[in-house]
Amino acid sequence: MIINFKGAKTYIGTGGKSLDTTKKTLCFLHGSGQNHLSFIQQARFFAYKGYSVIVPDMPAHGFSDGNPCKSIKENAEWITDLLVDLKLKDVVVIGHSQGCLVALELNRILKSSLEALIFVAGSNEIPVNQFLLDLSKENPQKAYQMMVTWGHGIDGDMSINKWPGHYHYGEGSNIMCMNKPTALEYDLHSCNDYSDGIDAAKNIKVPALAVLAKNDQMTPLKSGLKFVELIKNCEIHILDCGHFLPSERPMELNSIIKSFLSKLK
Amino acid sequence: MSENYKFDTLSLHAGHIPDKETGSRAVPIYQTTSYVFNSTEEAASLYNMEVGGHLYTRISNPTVAALEQRLAALEGGASALACSSGMAAMHLVVSAICSSGDHIVASSKMYGANINLLQHTMPRFGVKTDFVNPNDPEAIKRAIKPNTKLVFGEVIGNPGLDIMDVPEIAKICNSKNIPLVLDATFNTPYLMQPFKHGANIIVHSLTKWLGGHGIAIGGAVVNGGNFDWGDKDKFPTISGPHFALGGISFWEEFGPSALIAKIRAEGMYNFGPSLSPTNAFHLMQGIETLPLRMKKHIENTHSILDFLVNHEMVEWVKHPDLETHPDHEVAKRILPKGSGSIVAFGIKGGREAGKAFIESVQLASHLANVGDAKTLLIHPGSTTHSHLSSEAMKEGGLTDDMIRLSIGLEDINDIKKDFEKGFKAVKKLNR
Ligand SMILES: Cc1ncc(COP(=O)(O)O)c(C=O)c1O
Repeated sequence: MIINFKGAKTYIGTGGKSLDTTKKTLCFLHGSGQNHLSFIQQARFFAYKGYSVIVPDMPAHGFSDGNPCKSIKENAEWITDLLVDLKLKDVVVIGHSQGCLVALELNRILKSSLEALIFVAGSNEIPVNQFLLDLSKENPQKAYQMMVTWGHGIDGDMSINKWPGHYHYGEGSNIMCMNKPTALEYDLHSCNDYSDGIDAAKNIKVPALAVLAKNDQMTPLKSGLKFVELIKNCEIHILDCGHFLPSERPMELNSIIKSFLSKLK
Repeated sequence: MSENYKFDTLSLHAGHIPDKETGSRAVPIYQTTSYVFNSTEEAASLYNMEVGGHLYTRISNPTVAALEQRLAALEGGASALACSSGMAAMHLVVSAICSSGDHIVASSKMYGANINLLQHTMPRFGVKTDFVNPNDPEAIKRAIKPNTKLVFGEVIGNPGLDIMDVPEIAKICNSKNIPLVLDATFNTPYLMQPFKHGANIIVHSLTKWLGGHGIAIGGAVVNGGNFDWGDKDKFPTISGPHFALGGISFWEEFGPSALIAKIRAEGMYNFGPSLSPTNAFHLMQGIETLPLRMKKHIENTHSILDFLVNHEMVEWVKHPDLETHPDHEVAKRILPKGSGSIVAFGIKGGREAGKAFIESVQLASHLANVGDAKTLLIHPGSTTHSHLSSEAMKEGGLTDDMIRLSIGLEDINDIKKDFEKGFKAVKKLNR
């Protein structure tokens, strides 16, 4: 659905169902330079399982206008305001990559109405190398291609896909191309500059789930494992794939999330 | 570690890694119509397009999917769909995008069935086409109307071998927000990858060089993922609500792969031109050697061009790699590895000479196909167009002395010797 939010056209994927505020809400937060389409196989899946699903395109991403947020905090504030605007309470937040950092910040602001946190390919920090930071400004298209190649495991190289006929690299880079050209640069800087992750992780009081990827080259497994140690009571799963596990291992990820959700009150 | 494999490697590997259960190195042929659902919930998920997977072979099949994923990787597209023939691919694209009242701009120099579909069949369903010279970008620009929904052409035209200036035409289409759809059968992704030049959708007849062995008919649509279908008024079939799946908008839900999702959900569902898994296997077997074959096709073609250009019995030779071809400069720019292995030449002595030549060669096969590993030839004047006068043939851009060759992979001297047999028979005729 498209809404006017903070004066800008804002797109929120709802998994093909209209938003029903009486149901439990799952809020998916996309990663750097991504948009709602990085959760293609999660949004519809959970919307058709009786959840209310929102997958916002952050400002300047996907179908949303506006200027990109300049920090993880700004991203989190934008989401907080959006949840108020949509009158959504008791939200389960599911972040992928940068979305995990935003979820951590959200946890600080949004304590009362956050029901659970799910971290997909996440960590408490996402340092970005200078080369990619520069490239995202000078040649975003090239940066998309590099991120898409680094971001996938062997399934990317070999064009293996659970979704018949789809090619991770071609699809992934074109998803990124849909964003405004400045979006990635701001996202990567936001990730690189974020340093409150350790405190934020220690502060998590809601049930948490982390699904990490064995061959993650963007948020390495080692970093992800250190991160989950900071969280009290975090359920952990490791899947054999790369960073983009929502598209690489959709079924496994969905069933882990589904089973986690079923254990919530 | 990501390897970013190169074209030759992808030709062999893309779309398949040995499965853990059997270790089968070759892509297994999943000769099945349907797939057991593990639960009612899983069945519903597949029907609702919540997640990817197979439910019925008319819609998708694991062997066919391996082929599709190989093609998407070789073209650098977002996704691909394989179907029963090149013509099925063409119809799937046109019918997915256009509805009654819509308009198409197409090249006037294309394969007969491509022309026929747009000139005679689609108008019955309210979709009209204006045909323009493919090597005149300005004419294409002028032909675009407010209701134009796609521009269509062949990168290398069949049979005239006209070359489209793809980057120029892509610029025009892009500025008008119209997808550029290209039949890339004659170039294959080995000679040229149209998405890199700004095209948006590719259709292939896999029957030809991609399959490469003249044993299986097949086609494919490859989706560049680089077109914005967001204008709901202009592209209601892709971005507006679909008649099923809860009024899904393919563009919103699937973004770069919207077109392929639409074709699977409508074209494959309702028309059903599916590719058999066994043919998908055969076609993939061909693709494994595509780079090797194309290299040799081009090498042999260039040698035959020399041979024909210098032959006393030859009136004229047409191939875009010859300086005498009107599109030679464009060909050099967009097809630097070579412009394919189809050659047309005029034989001295007209229609009768053509007939004698065809009937005297032994190695080259006289048949109506192109892109086989074996050398093929046909003389339209005594076969497909034998009912037409020389004048009528000229009007259609053909001459009665024209022989079309599809140069194969045989030893080049054997091909030349074979053609000499044909020329000898013509000489006898002239005596
Ligand atoms: C350029 C071109 N496109 C499409 C086709 C149709 O292919 P198929 O026979 O696989 O339907 C052909 C067949 O000759 C062709 O030459």
